[in-house]
Amino acid sequence: MNLFPLIFNVYLSFTDADLSGGAVRAIGGRNYTVLFSQARYTNALSTTALFVLASVSIELVLGFTLALALRDHLPGKSALLTVLLIPMMLCPVVLSLFWNLILNGHYGVLNQLLGGLHLPQPQWLTDDGLKFASILMVDVWMWTPFMMLISLAGLNAIPKHIYEAAEIDRAGRWLVFRTITLPMCAPLLGLAALLRATDALKQFDLVMAITGPNDATTQTISARIYQVVFRDYKVGLGSAYGVVILVAVIAVATIFVRYIDALNQRTGKARV
Amino acid sequence: MKLARALVIVPYFVLATLPLGWLALTSLKSYDDTISTNATFVPSVDFTPSLDAYRSLSKPVAGTPRDFYHYLGNSVVIALLSTLAAVCLGTLCAYGFSRFRIPGSKDWLFFILSTRFLPPLAVVVPVLVMYRRFGLESTHVGLILLYTSFNLSLATWLMKGFIDEIPQAFEEAALVDGYSRLAAFGRVIVPQATTGMAVTAVFCLISSWNEFGFAMTLNNYEAKTVPVYFAGLQGNIDGVPWPQIAAGMMIFVAPIVLFTVLARKHLLRGVTFGTIKQ
Repeated sequence: MNLFPLIFNVYLSFTDADLSGGAVRAIGGRNYTVLFSQARYTNALSTTALFVLASVSIELVLGFTLALALRDHLPGKSALLTVLLIPMMLCPVVLSLFWNLILNGHYGVLNQLLGGLHLPQPQWLTDDGLKFASILMVDVWMWTPFMMLISLAGLNAIPKHIYEAAEIDRAGRWLVFRTITLPMCAPLLGLAALLRATDALKQFDLVMAITGPNDATTQTISARIYQVVFRDYKVGLGSAYGVVILVAVIAVATIFVRYIDALNQRTGKARV
Repeated sequence: MKLARALVIVPYFVLATLPLGWLALTSLKSYDDTISTNATFVPSVDFTPSLDAYRSLSKPVAGTPRDFYHYLGNSVVIALLSTLAAVCLGTLCAYGFSRFRIPGSKDWLFFILSTRFLPPLAVVVPVLVMYRRFGLESTHVGLILLYTSFNLSLATWLMKGFIDEIPQAFEEAALVDGYSRLAAFGRVIVPQATTGMAVTAVFCLISSWNEFGFAMTLNNYEAKTVPVYFAGLQGNIDGVPWPQIAAGMMIFVAPIVLFTVLARKHLLRGVTFGTIKQ
């Protein structure tokens, strides 16, 4: 069930298979030549790469900052954390459909609030320069809690006595952060970034919900595959895309797997 | 320092909860209020709240053949059955990996995990071809099988973490007392692992419940789930029925909010495949 599609996918990527049926002919590497030579197709690759980079780094910085703020005792902290974590558990496509109402340039509540503050009211969903940012914004809203959760785990795992020792040595706040907090959290932050990257590489739901699959500025690889296979019926070409994204995902997943392996061995929790 | 903390937490909290608050408000409004250029915020003062949107969920929206509850039913059946299957298989699988020496067990485990990273759209074409051949396209069974296989990796990893924590001495004692392996598993491990199984079930349920890529491409007619139904309402000719959509979304996300609260202590474990335990 898991393996067969992969092998079949590679086979299809060398054919001219069509969704509406008909004879399938092997056409060698032509799909790949098309894929890498046409602007529209390489565009999807770079959009995805940009999306992964931007979303992971923004969420990581924001999530870690939040975790630092939420680290010490706070009245009602557990309830606060639970509320903050809710967006990441809910259905991405359903929530981003609702974001369409919030972001609507004419009657959306965001622009009305901005208008109330006498700020410019951009066309979030129709301006070509902003569509990508809008999707990014929804993704950041949804997944920052994930980074926060893992960052908090990292911060809580730092033994108190290290900080006490630093205090005795009269180390400044910035020095403590730079030499204790950050390096000791780094392994978990890396794990969080890798997990989010594999997820962001698949980005499909938000794009479908907010701009549709065929928008030049926001078309990710997954959206491109949808367009090619289900709107243009070019199964062979779609499979070639699938193979490209699979290679990327497997690369990131392999790094991830090696990474937790090394992490486990270093912390002595190697039980796998 | 206190001020700096408040300056980070308060604005983020407000911005993060605003969309969900707006969702709740929208579900109580009339259609005209939802697309008004004079946004209203306070029920009873700014606008008259009503439950009409919730009541009208049992009637099909213009342009769709069935009402919301039909699609909700599909979602429930598909999510529950795939979760049940994934947790049962995953527990057995995890028990095997946890207690027996399996050649290359590490590689197998990582292979199982890697299936979780596959983008639905990258594998959907071969699955579609396969499903057409076996008549599984647009059926409940088709999605249940697919979600089971994708959730199995999560279930195996999470359950392995939980079973690793049960002392081996318990079942050794049972084996000495003359229990068979299977009886020891059923009478010793399963009762000890119920919390773990419940947590695993919650995470499998959530991922099936929220899934969109496969549901959209393989299942667009008969066994349509709620996310696909909502996505289809976007181009409605009579205007997007926002109050009904918001009311439906409230009903759709309510169980997940409840599960998040119930499983809050295990969230970290769930989202990291059990690689971080606390």
